[in-house]
Amino acid sequence: MQKTVSLTVNGKPVSATVEGRTLLVQLLREQLGLTGTHVGCDTSQCGACVVHVDGEAVKACTLLAVQADGHSVLTIEGVATGDTLHPMQEAFRNNHALQCGFCTPGMVMSALDLVKNNPNPTEREIREYLEGNLCRCTGYHNIVLAIAEGAAVMRGEPAPNVYGTAAE
Amino acid sequence: MATIGTPVRRREDFRFLTGGGTYTDDINRPGQLYAYILRSQHAHARIGGIDTAPAQRSSGVVAVYTGQDMTADGVGGLPCGWQIHSKDGSPMAEPPHPVLAVDRVRYVGDPVAVVIADTLALARDAAELVNVNYAEEPAAIDPVAALQPGAPQVNSEASGNLCYDWQLGDLAAVESAFAKATRIVRLDLANNRLVPNAMEPRAAIGEFNRATGEYTLYTTSQNPHVIRLLMGAFVLHIPEARLRVVAPDVGGGFGSKIYHYPEEAIVTWAAGKVHRPVKWTAERSESFISDAHGRDHVTHVELALDAQGKFLALKVSTVANLGAYLSTFAPAIPTYLYGTLLAGTYTTPAIYCETKAVFTNTVPIDAYRGAGRPEATFVLERIVDLAADEIGMDPAELRRRNFIPKDAYPYQTPVALQYDSGDYAATLELALKAADYQGFESRRREAMGRGKLRGIGIATYIEACGIAPSAVVGSLGARAGLYESAEVRVHPTGSVSVLTGTHSHGQGHETTFSQLVADTFGIPIDNVEIVHGDTDKIPYGMGTYGSRSIAVGGTAIVKAMDKVIAKGRKIAAHLLEAAEADVEFKDGKFTVAGTDRSRTLGEVALTAYVPHNYPIDELEPGLDETAFYDPKNFTFPSGAYIAEVEIDLETGQVAVVNFTASDDFGRIINPLIVAGQVHGGLAQGIGQALLEGCVYDKASGQLLTGSYNDYAMPRADDLPTFALSTNTTLCTHNPLGVKGCGEAGAIGAPAAITNALVDALKPLGVRHLDMPATSEKLWRTIQQHRAPIAAE
Amino acid sequence: MEMTGEFRIPAPRQRVWEGLNDPEVLKQCIPGCQALEKVSDTEFNGRVVASVGPVRATFGGKVRLSDLDPPQSYTISGEGSGGVAGFAKGGAKVNLAEDGAATLLTYAAQAQIGGKLAQVGSRLIDGVARKMANDFFGQFAAVMVPEQPAAAPAVERARVAAEAAPPVPPPHPMSTRLPPAVWVTGLAVIIILLLYFFTR
Ligand code: FES
Ligand code: FES
Repeated sequence: MQKTVSLTVNGKPVSATVEGRTLLVQLLREQLGLTGTHVGCDTSQCGACVVHVDGEAVKACTLLAVQADGHSVLTIEGVATGDTLHPMQEAFRNNHALQCGFCTPGMVMSALDLVKNNPNPTEREIREYLEGNLCRCTGYHNIVLAIAEGAAVMRGEPAPNVYGTAAE
Repeated sequence: MATIGTPVRRREDFRFLTGGGTYTDDINRPGQLYAYILRSQHAHARIGGIDTAPAQRSSGVVAVYTGQDMTADGVGGLPCGWQIHSKDGSPMAEPPHPVLAVDRVRYVGDPVAVVIADTLALARDAAELVNVNYAEEPAAIDPVAALQPGAPQVNSEASGNLCYDWQLGDLAAVESAFAKATRIVRLDLANNRLVPNAMEPRAAIGEFNRATGEYTLYTTSQNPHVIRLLMGAFVLHIPEARLRVVAPDVGGGFGSKIYHYPEEAIVTWAAGKVHRPVKWTAERSESFISDAHGRDHVTHVELALDAQGKFLALKVSTVANLGAYLSTFAPAIPTYLYGTLLAGTYTTPAIYCETKAVFTNTVPIDAYRGAGRPEATFVLERIVDLAADEIGMDPAELRRRNFIPKDAYPYQTPVALQYDSGDYAATLELALKAADYQGFESRRREAMGRGKLRGIGIATYIEACGIAPSAVVGSLGARAGLYESAEVRVHPTGSVSVLTGTHSHGQGHETTFSQLVADTFGIPIDNVEIVHGDTDKIPYGMGTYGSRSIAVGGTAIVKAMDKVIAKGRKIAAHLLEAAEADVEFKDGKFTVAGTDRSRTLGEVALTAYVPHNYPIDELEPGLDETAFYDPKNFTFPSGAYIAEVEIDLETGQVAVVNFTASDDFGRIINPLIVAGQVHGGLAQGIGQALLEGCVYDKASGQLLTGSYNDYAMPRADDLPTFALSTNTTLCTHNPLGVKGCGEAGAIGAPAAITNALVDALKPLGVRHLDMPATSEKLWRTIQQHRAPIAAE
Repeated sequence: MEMTGEFRIPAPRQRVWEGLNDPEVLKQCIPGCQALEKVSDTEFNGRVVASVGPVRATFGGKVRLSDLDPPQSYTISGEGSGGVAGFAKGGAKVNLAEDGAATLLTYAAQAQIGGKLAQVGSRLIDGVARKMANDFFGQFAAVMVPEQPAAAPAVERARVAAEAAPPVPPPHPMSTRLPPAVWVTGLAVIIILLLYFFTR
């Protein structure tokens, strides 16, 4: 059963023909070539696939492509402005908050969602918020630092610059 | 500007942060088909027959293959890269490991057939129609039970399910030391089975070019050349020159992506059959039953001490689970990566270790971050802590008394290794101070007032990294050399490409190696490009595991740069009309000593490629050098970890409140990356101690912890902020003085956490806890031990 | 897993026995039951479709009866297979006791699950299987009660509606990244399937 869906992805209108069972993450990765959104599990627990749908963080493996019809999707590919990283991406870089990079797109998308709802999260709040995002490489230590830094910069404050890398 | 030792931000981050990474599953080849692999749902069964006809007829299906098809086509079995010999000198049992099961399935997840179709969904639908006639048989699941007489037999080649019965050390010396001991401490413990769970599931794409007869395999591998060698030579019989293996961006490995897996051979072989690219990507639940698992030891340990608390001898007896087949490096893990580490940081003069390796109807087991060394460290640091408790000595003091002193290097252990450097006492002091060990008792009391049992635990560790001197590992049974290669290609304008045989799957080689090159050549980091992961580009190399990349791969780069500089001096001497001996290379310039006459590396390179004015009779044009480095010894990173935990007396809920790690990694090139490696290792070590454990149904052999529902991965709020510090002694036998840092955290953390938990529960009379110490287990332990106390 | 249960069915024992032996009755009580056939006096084959969202999984089951002591007790054993989704097999001892005008049905079942079902659903299965057993016997009791056939069409309609509801794609047992709920449902269906056969 095929259906044509039309949605906005990273600000651009797109349409595609999908099956009823096609997941949003499959549409993004396989049909639209946006492979920055990853698939790390089949039980909706790892968070590697987090994107924003109409501004809300969503696990793209839990949504059918047809459910995204008419909605606006933001993926990791749409976060930076040209070659200028978003402050949250910059903070991940400054704090070495990624190693293999596989969880990273989901982490950044989740971090942006957290900060939208809580512009000044405590360490505990960041750790609790990350419940739905698994990272096997970093032990989360630097991700937590990065989200705190990203939040600070987004609030207009200077970067805490824990590792002395930010001012490079 | 010197970058070595400074926190340079990673060069690879931009692409990962913008969704621009290229992982295997991100690659799609023109005309690509999809493979779905049908796997056994039984732990042990005879295959009566497989009917693929209905599946072949299913919509979109291009081909369906079984083990019979592959065998008939001459496909070989998956090879094992290490041979161990038993006590009696006999070689290990080495049962065949077919790519697809032929007459028997031996674990839940054993691949049975592959369906290749236009889409993954169609392949999966068709797999439903493959009819396998199984005759179920009893399964051997528990490794200790599998060794009992009458246990179900996993492989007919391994009688009694025993792969080998190995030993190391001087048993007579150990027995006589035990006879003289004042105190003998004994403990039975287990090292829990783990699932590596790199976040990127494995994937592979096979491709065959009819015009050239070339095969290409894209795969999630830590060592593409090793895969090319094993698959080309042993499985598919494709000459290396016609087989290219590409491991692009890889989303974590931790050991699990070292091995040559069936799926790699299946897609490559099938691509040759159907003449179209064939792609396979694991679903997570497939990863759980097809990625090699880690650990799974059952051990009895005895430590003999004299009246002053000096260790006299150590005796260790281990049963190690191998799973159903021998994975690529499996035999080496519970032997030479385990028994050889049992001296730890101590002067114990006599050590004996024996390991019985056993086949069971479970997923094959192989190296997982630390590989053998976490198991050794857990055994040793638990028995040392228990000894401290039994003789009533502070565990830090007992360790101090037994440390190898810092002036004792090189230090020959009784278990084959020769340590080159270290200063364990100083590292421990550093950690004790950072953790405020002195002030702990008041924290314990304060916590008690809040209904929390607080405990502190120390663990020291040593690891043998930088794997490895080829001659040594060869004499121990390795079927490969373990050197590393590098090509340093200086381009005509002075920019540099480094082609390394190591592989980065999170370790940040593009940054660390660039720092090495930028500093040595005196050029900006941006002028350096690091190339890895493609056998068509890089020289033959062994890949990344065992914390070897900087120590072995980095040294190979240094050696190749030395050659570049040596040649450059000759060219510069010619250009500057000076004697070669008078030309020195510094800060990116070849200078005639004592003058300001110089040529930059770029000028020399241009001359090398445009040799108009060139010593052409003595020198070849070009500035491109390759080096292979075979280390003289292992490197020996070491450290002292201190964990502080609180257990809620009512709920058993545990919190790691402080974690202090002091490590000696030798010289550190990029402290940012090193810290990241430690954090990640600690998370996996703490995960092992508190959360992770792979559970099989002991009767049916079904994997019960087969998804993130049931296999507890450490999450952000399970972990503390870590306090790291380093105490550096340089490695003495590589030019950089580096030791490696990738596995440390996973090696030291499980013992530190467990020691802290046992310390917390000591008031209740608890002597040992097996991992994972989940809140439930802690709650039950508290209940059990409280009852008798209450009754008194 | 092991499971025991007890249901009071407001119908005489002989009728309960017959009902449990009647494929048509059972079919009405098993949600998503596509086919149920009596192969011999002691063997049943059945097929159930469980659907959640866009995903349907088809489970086939086979059961065998032994130790028959009509209308009082029997042992049933069998297996259900959901293809790549996994399998379940097991057995149950079922007892029917007279309880005034009603019948007290008790069972003690053990089931073993395998494959993906065990891997993903083992921890959740207990509760779901219990709930589905309740639903089944609830429905069974409802079918048993009316002497006149008036109520049956209602049940029948509900069942037909349920069957018509799932979307049209050809039955493919698994689709990508099946939510755990599907597993659990499928799993429970298998076990329930066994149970009815057991309870036949
Ligand atoms: S892929 Fe794991 S949560 Fe979506
Ligand atoms: S960086 Fe590798 S999983 Fe997070």
